Amino acid sequence: MTNSEAAKTQPIVRLEDIYKAFGVTEVLKGVSLSLMPQEVVVLVGPSGTGKSTLLRCVNLLSRPDKGRIWLEELEITAPGVNEDKVRQRVGMVFQEFNLFTHLTALENVMIGMTKVLKMDKRAAHAKALEELERVGLANRADHYPAQLSGGQKQRVAIARALGMDPHVMLFDEPTSALDPELTGEVLAVMQKLAFEGMTMMVVSHEMGFAREVADRVVFMEGGYIVEAGPPEQMFDHPQVDRTRVSQ
Amino acid sequence: MEFVQKFITTFQFIVEGLWVTIGVTVVALAVGFVLGILAGVARVYGNKFLAGIGTTYSVVVRAVPVIVIIFILFFVISSLVDLTAFWAGSLALGFASGAYQTEIFRGALRSVSGGQMTAASAIGMSRWQAIRHIILPQALRLALPAWGNEATLVLKDSTLVFAVGVPEVLRRAEYVKARTFDPFFAYSVALLLYLALTLVTTQVLRQAENRYRLRL
Amino acid sequence: MNDFLMFLQDVIPSLLKGTVITLEIAGVSLLLGVVVGLPVGLGRVYGPTWLKRVLGIYTTFFQGTPLLIQLFFVYYGLPAAGITFDRFTAAFLTLGLNSGAYQAEYLRGALQSVSEGQMTAARAIGMSKWQAIRAIILPQALRLVLPAWSNEAISMLKYTAVVYLIAVPDLMGQAKILSSKYFAPIQIYLIVAVFYLVLVGITYFVLRAVEKRAGIPGLTYSPEHGGA
Repeated sequence: MTNSEAAKTQPIVRLEDIYKAFGVTEVLKGVSLSLMPQEVVVLVGPSGTGKSTLLRCVNLLSRPDKGRIWLEELEITAPGVNEDKVRQRVGMVFQEFNLFTHLTALENVMIGMTKVLKMDKRAAHAKALEELERVGLANRADHYPAQLSGGQKQRVAIARALGMDPHVMLFDEPTSALDPELTGEVLAVMQKLAFEGMTMMVVSHEMGFAREVADRVVFMEGGYIVEAGPPEQMFDHPQVDRTRVSQ
Repeated sequence: MEFVQKFITTFQFIVEGLWVTIGVTVVALAVGFVLGILAGVARVYGNKFLAGIGTTYSVVVRAVPVIVIIFILFFVISSLVDLTAFWAGSLALGFASGAYQTEIFRGALRSVSGGQMTAASAIGMSRWQAIRHIILPQALRLALPAWGNEATLVLKDSTLVFAVGVPEVLRRAEYVKARTFDPFFAYSVALLLYLALTLVTTQVLRQAENRYRLRL
Repeated sequence: MNDFLMFLQDVIPSLLKGTVITLEIAGVSLLLGVVVGLPVGLGRVYGPTWLKRVLGIYTTFFQGTPLLIQLFFVYYGLPAAGITFDRFTAAFLTLGLNSGAYQAEYLRGALQSVSEGQMTAARAIGMSKWQAIRAIILPQALRLVLPAWSNEAISMLKYTAVVYLIAVPDLMGQAKILSSKYFAPIQIYLIVAVFYLVLVGITYFVLRAVEKRAGIPGLTYSPEHGGA
């Protein structure tokens, strides 16, 4: 086996037996899941079943109570791991966009490069413009978040995450806060990313997107993974009744 | 033991001033309330002339230090009528507070929705009837949090009438200082008394707010 | 009329001297208030519990007692405990610490009004907590706090008037001297009132202009158009 083949077969993210509770509410009850390079995994299932929490464990915004997580070769749940360094390698997009209110679109994309990656201003400026170009918003660079539509905000948020050159992107219900007519532009950008080979973990209720873009669909319920498989199998021949109902 | 004794005598002497402080505050707040309501209503519902007077009063008085207002009015009042320092000082402080209360009531009056006036007219109320029976009762409740804040400010500003010779807490502390030559002790007691007074006032006002909050 | 002009000519030079002192005291105190208020406000929101409590006692004390008694305590009271300040230092210190308490509370409110998502997003791109506070939360909070801060500046400018009671020759101190010299307290204090009115007026308009310039759509005012 050559080195590059070994790299191919090593998962980008590996979650092993993850437990998480908020107070007395157990949200995750032993979840294991791996993401291979360039793989797009869509987490589906009823709300409140731990999908978002699982996602937030991958960049340690949520810390699992039990279980281990690897990001490539690094066990990020090991003691002493710098969580800020972990997050630099994991891009995240939120349901509520969370663009920095006081910064323009361009500055939103730049700030992680200059403050976290310590890139110089000029290089960061050029790269940020490229990232905005990638999501089709170079012409909105100087707009403040409040001057953008919801779909545009979310695309800037994607550009902001991409600017950090993440090894994997997490999407936490990226279109749930959008008016239906604005979801298309965001899904199109995500589809383009997937096509370019980005490793992605997506929590979404967009079944059309899951069917078209996902390599694997993971159905979660009650803190467990109930079923997982390629979209055709999941949607057309579900093993568990619930999966069919949710379509 | 000597310390405790000293504390008790100092406290007993200064606490007399507490009643004066409370008296000044209550009179000033009452005077300011009347002026504030009048000027507030004038600014929101008055004709150009009345609104102009209300605006001038509130803008000019709020741009001048309270102590300067107290001095001017104290001398004006004293030259016109024979009033004690307590009354002259309290009225002057009330005149100053009225300007701040004007802004509070103006804000509250404006936040009562326009539909209320329309509805009052529709059942045949005159403009002034509507203001008195419909708008003001709502505005007063909406004004309560800001008014409570103003009340604690006036409580603290009441110490300014010290400068015109009213025997409130600070003046009493001065007496103690002159007699005992222990200014540290005298002012400490004055500060603690005030702290207790403002904390109690804040609590009382908070409860009043909860009780009278308008549920819209 | 002529008499009045003569009178004005006599008193205005002293009042101008007093004005300079008034501005100096207001300026230094406000600055000291910023220096104190900024870390205290941050500590009140992001500090450990014990620190929050200690800082809370500081703000409660300074907000819960009259400035004038604080001033007397510092200038006349502390020397009895062996701590002596000259009148200017006492004025700067008292007004500065007093303003710091108010500024800290305004900043605390502003910090708390920045939505939680801002912090989450900053952490998600790899910022440390303090990096996020410095680069994301504080710049927003400082803009949000500006109107309250402007009020505080004007309030401080007016409250400097009490320092004449520890014999600082500010605008009010000069007025006191002049009113006993000319036996015309009402006229003198009316002129002084005009002086304050002008000072406060200028400050007000300058600060409004600053607020406008520092404004950001969606943060300090609603945007004129909600996007394409």
